[in-house]
Amino acid sequence: MKIADWLDLHPVTGVTVGRDASLEEAADALLGEPECRDIYVTDAEGRVVGHLGFRRLAGVLLSAHRPTHSRRQMLERVARGPVHEFMDRRFISARLDESVHHVLHPHMERRVEDIPVLDGEGRLAGVIRLVDLVRAAIEPSDDSIG
Amino acid sequence: MEILLIGVLLLSGLAVGSLGSHLLGVPRVAGYILLGMLFAPDLLGGHLGMESTDWTQPLVSVALGIIAYVIGGAISPGQLRRLGWSIVGATLGEVSGAFLAVLGGVLLLGMTVADLPLWSFALVLAAVAPATAPAAIVAVVHQYRARGQLTTTLLGMVAIDDALGIFIFALVLALVGSGSIGSALGTAFWEIGVALLVGGMGGFLIERLSRRFHEQSMLLPMLLGGIFLTVGLAEWAEFSALLAAMVLGFSVRWFCGPHAERLFEPVEDLEETVFVLFFTFAGLHFDPSAVIDYWPLMLVYFVARAVGLFVGGGSGARLAGASRPVWSNVGFGLFPQGGVAIGLALLLLHYPGFSKAGEVIVNLITTTTLLTEAVGAISVRYGLRRAGELGLEQAGGEAK
Repeated sequence: MKIADWLDLHPVTGVTVGRDASLEEAADALLGEPECRDIYVTDAEGRVVGHLGFRRLAGVLLSAHRPTHSRRQMLERVARGPVHEFMDRRFISARLDESVHHVLHPHMERRVEDIPVLDGEGRLAGVIRLVDLVRAAIEPSDDSIG
Repeated sequence: MEILLIGVLLLSGLAVGSLGSHLLGVPRVAGYILLGMLFAPDLLGGHLGMESTDWTQPLVSVALGIIAYVIGGAISPGQLRRLGWSIVGATLGEVSGAFLAVLGGVLLLGMTVADLPLWSFALVLAAVAPATAPAAIVAVVHQYRARGQLTTTLLGMVAIDDALGIFIFALVLALVGSGSIGSALGTAFWEIGVALLVGGMGGFLIERLSRRFHEQSMLLPMLLGGIFLTVGLAEWAEFSALLAAMVLGFSVRWFCGPHAERLFEPVEDLEETVFVLFFTFAGLHFDPSAVIDYWPLMLVYFVARAVGLFVGGGSGARLAGASRPVWSNVGFGLFPQGGVAIGLALLLLHYPGFSKAGEVIVNLITTTTLLTEAVGAISVRYGLRRAGELGLEQAGGEAK
């Protein structure tokens, strides 16, 4: 199945935040969309420039409760920067004209839960959630992965 | 036999350290050192065929390289800018205060070892003094839910002061290893300059190479390979391995930009293993007669370091515009000294001209580390309480 067709059947828009937003603002945006586990960082033109997972976000925001810190974690705690200093800028994304079958495995190897789909200009067109893919895999129907 | 002993030291060191901490409330490092003492060549180590401790040298070099890489990669340029002048000023004051106070104290005492010039001995001891033990400070902050300006300042300071300490140590080793002032400048230029160059280029190459590896499991061998290669090159070409490994870490962080933790987390996980090895190795070298013969030196080192940290850290913070609760209490939070200082001392054992002095310095740092571990936590807690930042006490709770 083409990714564009999958997004028609499973429309998930995803959550984005500007690169200079604070981690608190990113968390607030993510908590407003409980179905999403990842947030995508955008530049001034709305192009996706990075990815930030919920675990990483939570790890930094809750760092005061960690019993041990590496020096790197200490500095993240006391000199916290905007969201673009925490994002993964070498994330893997999918295109609308690719097939779900071909992009699934590379994404699972990176241990990310959501697959961002970008349009021709690099803006977020939607998100393929792993939970929807698993649901489709165990309940064969017309909208299976293919 | 060495591999057997390393296994025994790691496992029984962890067991004794954890049991001592759990049952008797003594710092874990005391257990590690005690275990090392038991396996010294004169005791159980001799029965395992251990006639000397020379075999520990390559391990110490590589392990210190790992720690230096982690220290170098702890901070990004952006974080350094955001830390604020009060933290940077307090750190500069703390590091220079400890260095100058120990240097002055040892020179005034006039006590040296074998035929090592007093200036060289005093400089090396002073160069070990600024190292602190972040783990001990974080433990108190976590236990008492400390929050506030002093807590933030302390965490920022102990995260970066070891980097300055390693730089000073590398510079001092380059200087004392030379015969005259003229050759000292040339040696220092070579040791420091080439270390900066090799570390910087190595960091660039490692970061580029890491883009090829998406699986987390492939990163550790790549990073360890980079650190081993840097340390090995440094020993071969006689430039500072410590500084090169630290610059390697800084450079990897610099070129990687955001999301650099994947290039540090796997190595950071090795830190506790390295420290267990350092403390048990220090125990292998423990010599009660050195402690008895050089007790005035140990006393001077301990007191001068404490005064230097207190006065230097407080003055630096005050000059940099920190508030009174910060500058008047920051010195209390800096006493603990641990694995980094022990590692630097162990490195001296195999440095030309330092074989006897190295033994004394290892024993001195081991003894004072036990003292600072014992009183350090009390001191950190006292400073945080004076600043009114012990959150759990303010909430009427009890620390567990």
